[in-house]
Amino acid sequence: MATHDGTPIASARGLVKTYGSGDTAVRALDGVDVDFGRGELTAIMGPSGSGKSTLMHCMAGLDRSDAGTVVVDGLEVSGMGERKLTRLRRDRLGFVFQAFNLVPTLTALENITLPLDIARRPVDRAHLDAVVQAVGLADRLGHKPTELSGGQQQRVACARALVSRPAVVFADEPTGNLDSTSSGEVLGFLRRSVDDLGQSVVMVTHDPTAASYAHRVLFLADGRLVGELTDPTPDSVLAALAALRPSAGTHAAPAPVPAASRGPR
Amino acid sequence: MLRVALRGIRAHVVRFLLSLLAVALGVAFVAGTFSLRTMMSSTFDGIVDAGAPGDAYVRAEPAEGSSVVEGTGAAPAVPMELADDIAALDGVAHAIPEAQGSIVLVGADGTAVQSTQAPSLVFSYLPDDPSLDVVEGRGPERAGEIALETATLESSGLAVGDTTQVVLGGQVGDAEVVGRFDMGAPMAGATLVVVDPGTGYALFAPDGKVADIAVYAADGTTPDDLVAAIAPLVPGDLQVVTGQELRDENKAAIDQMLGFVTTFLLVFAAIALFVGAFIISNTFAMSVRQRMREFALLRAVGASPAQVFASILVQAAVVGLIGSALGIAGGLGLVQGLKSVFEAMGMDLAGDIPVDGATIGVSLVVGTVVSVLAAAVPARRAALVPPVEAMRDDVAVPERSIRVRAVLGALVTGLGVAGVLAAVLHTGEGTLDAALGAGAAAVLVGVLMLAPGLARAVLGVLAWPFVRLLRPVGRLARGNVVRNPRRTANTAGALMIGMALVGGVSVIATSAQASVAGVVESQLRADLVLQSATFDIPKGAIADVDALPEVGATAAFAAAPLEVSSGGGADAGTRYVAGVRDDLFDGTIRAETIDGDLASLAAGEAAVQEDPADEQGWAVGDTLRIAGATGPRDVTIGAVFTTNVIGAPVVVSAETLDALVPPEQQLVDTLAVDAAAGVGVDALKDTVTAAVAPYVVVSVLTQDEFVSNIADQVNQVLVILYALLGLSVVIAVLGIVNTLALSVIERTREIGLLRAVGLGRLQLAGTVTVESVLTAVFGTVVGLVVGVALASALPSVYADDGLSELVIPWGNLAGMVGLAVVVGVLAALWPATRAARMRVLDAVSYE
Repeated sequence: MATHDGTPIASARGLVKTYGSGDTAVRALDGVDVDFGRGELTAIMGPSGSGKSTLMHCMAGLDRSDAGTVVVDGLEVSGMGERKLTRLRRDRLGFVFQAFNLVPTLTALENITLPLDIARRPVDRAHLDAVVQAVGLADRLGHKPTELSGGQQQRVACARALVSRPAVVFADEPTGNLDSTSSGEVLGFLRRSVDDLGQSVVMVTHDPTAASYAHRVLFLADGRLVGELTDPTPDSVLAALAALRPSAGTHAAPAPVPAASRGPR
Repeated sequence: MLRVALRGIRAHVVRFLLSLLAVALGVAFVAGTFSLRTMMSSTFDGIVDAGAPGDAYVRAEPAEGSSVVEGTGAAPAVPMELADDIAALDGVAHAIPEAQGSIVLVGADGTAVQSTQAPSLVFSYLPDDPSLDVVEGRGPERAGEIALETATLESSGLAVGDTTQVVLGGQVGDAEVVGRFDMGAPMAGATLVVVDPGTGYALFAPDGKVADIAVYAADGTTPDDLVAAIAPLVPGDLQVVTGQELRDENKAAIDQMLGFVTTFLLVFAAIALFVGAFIISNTFAMSVRQRMREFALLRAVGASPAQVFASILVQAAVVGLIGSALGIAGGLGLVQGLKSVFEAMGMDLAGDIPVDGATIGVSLVVGTVVSVLAAAVPARRAALVPPVEAMRDDVAVPERSIRVRAVLGALVTGLGVAGVLAAVLHTGEGTLDAALGAGAAAVLVGVLMLAPGLARAVLGVLAWPFVRLLRPVGRLARGNVVRNPRRTANTAGALMIGMALVGGVSVIATSAQASVAGVVESQLRADLVLQSATFDIPKGAIADVDALPEVGATAAFAAAPLEVSSGGGADAGTRYVAGVRDDLFDGTIRAETIDGDLASLAAGEAAVQEDPADEQGWAVGDTLRIAGATGPRDVTIGAVFTTNVIGAPVVVSAETLDALVPPEQQLVDTLAVDAAAGVGVDALKDTVTAAVAPYVVVSVLTQDEFVSNIADQVNQVLVILYALLGLSVVIAVLGIVNTLALSVIERTREIGLLRAVGLGRLQLAGTVTVESVLTAVFGTVVGLVVGVALASALPSVYADDGLSELVIPWGNLAGMVGLAVVVGVLAALWPATRAARMRVLDAVSYE
């Protein structure tokens, strides 16, 4: 496991995000304080509408919060202009989306090196080879995305997210469209990138199995952080989720350990 | 379902506005081209109708195969007195003997009133002539009075009551403008003057014979009755025809003269239709593809494939109809705009823009039918796709194979190339104009069809510098333009055609100029060349120049259209017969003698040019019968020769021509002037210029100026082509804007992804711009290659007609590619801005 030097790679304080206004207003984030550990794979879970995607979008500078601050790799993201946000995404962040991750006109290799091309940075051959080796795509690099399976496409996306050595990789339901075998490959790769390369990864998912690959799982409900698990297993994640359901009450065993800053109420 | 279809239009306003724009553009291209064409032909029809408004005409029996165009027909042969006899008949209102000639009218600014291509005509004014209508002042009644047609008066800057100068019958004289008249139609810039009958008939019917007598029926008499009534009065060598017959003949003759231009415009209109259909089908294919999910949802909730299909077609029909209406308005507006632009630049596209049923009908039908057909193909696919598949995230709609189109395109191109090659390799008599024309059109259409197949390779090469220099923008842009070669090729279609035109025309123009320069330099040796804007140098001017002490020798190139038949009786039709100074070929003109001796001209023999001689089987020793105004005359052929300086096929000595046609009826097209010993060319030019100044229309040119003057004439002919280029560039820019804007919408998620991984706004805008530039340059390069290649075939086909050299104007062509880059950048402005303004998160999660 990678080193923990204590300082979080990304953190948010008092994050509030409201969509709509008046009667139809929805509080997607209702005062979230959260820290993501350096060199950790952190999963964010929660039922639909819990605000997990919004949290990730705000952390990654894709969306603007109404209140609160976001700091990523020592930089305050909230309040950045469009130009700075672009540079932040380009130089310090990596992304893996649920679908439509690749530019269809570019080959797998060109997709992987796209962030470096955009930044006009030289390609670090050794690092690229290591990443390509790790995702197991060495023989598919010349193919266009349409010639790759869904799992292969997601692995290319992961490789792209890692190749620029970003401070954090944000993965939004990276296995949402994959079968269990492909999911396993992608998640295993994300986990290894943390363990072997010291990468920090934040992943939104609703799949307990996927979440079990994480070092730590954060649970969100109704825009609030309601609990967390460290070193989860699929079962413990399931149980924690069950405990979040209103009908199940908050005392189902094993109860999630209250989050450090804010516990379930 | 109808409601769903119409709601669909409302819900995606931008997308449908773009589809509407596409239809409007395609239709505007068609409507614009058609109306340019109709504008030209209706202008000439109007002139014919106004020029021959009579109910019946008495005229000389036209010889077989001769031209019936006014002014070049048979010599006047109808006795004027016949008019009085005809006028006395029952049912005849008026009988007007018609005779006309050329005139030079000096405007208020002291220069000749003339337009670029229209003639200056003068005829007698008879108060009872119904074809003209005096609307101000009165008609001329005595010598020295003239009346002007309304447009002529306007362009002359004169007013009724002014006194000005005219050159009439070769003499300069004062004339008072006593009236203004109308002819009942716009006369396309012709300068029209009437004089009193005494002056007019003395000049144009000196022997009492006129070209024809126009007869106007009294009320209640039909033209056919009129003809029947007149017929007994008409001697055997004359004939009487109805006005309609004459007008039809004249129109046919004009159509023949304009044949090249009208055929060309028709071909262009057909190609415009082709491109219009491309632009429209492009848009619908994109639009339907983007809405796959919406259709899948409809299917999922129970709509049948037929209903989905029908709803798409309804939308297409609505868009097609509205778009066509807009397109027609736009096309006519575009032509009006172009017309004003060209008028402002001094190039006259005469005539009003006709809003005729055919143009509107064709355009409406084309727009709507093409829209519905274009939507039908993707609609069928959308209707048949299983809902589940369409609901999936990445709807992979298989691109139709471009192979069928490529094979067809290759076939058509091949046929076209074969036609052009046949014309190039043809060594027999004449030229295979039809094969050449059809071949060229087929190559253009074929390449248009082949374009998607060519796109990948050509764009790969064009994009190379961008890929190398602009990382990663170049590579992304290249990916986008080759992603759908059909779309890129269709978008570039309008520009491709325009540029093929320009490429071809500029090669022809430069080659023609170089050829003329070559011919003039090698074959014409004269210090000065005098020409007239009216194509006839006033005889007085020639006499004045001859009298100058600084002038050593002059050589007038006089000519008259005469009936020529060979001794064997074979009729060669009306040919220009030139009369030249006996010793012209000794010094001034260098001609190549094929057979016989040019010195025989002095002995009253004729020299014929090689091509017509071959054509007619004329040889030295044969006898030609030339029908002059004074009766037929037999002339022996003394020489066969070839020169490009003289256009006339038959050349005789000046004395012989004078014997055939009175000098005042000859046209002196060019006067070559040499300085007397010891006089410099500059001094000579100043003196001669001063001497001909009173005749206003005569221009004095040195040999160099003469060459560039001929080049300018070539350029004038190209005005209409530049108008078409303008049309196709405007359509091309809007077409590229349209495709790019739709493509940006289509690629929203991809753009979101690129922005998410750090692509800056400028880089994104740059990508769109490079795409646009690549599309424009692709169309331009392919178009120019086709145009230049086709035009390069011409010199080998028309070498004998004076187009002897092939010159490719690389500078102009490079300029066109530069223009394409500008076009591309302009077209990208809006779509690029739109793409750059997209919010990243919205784009990433765009459905």
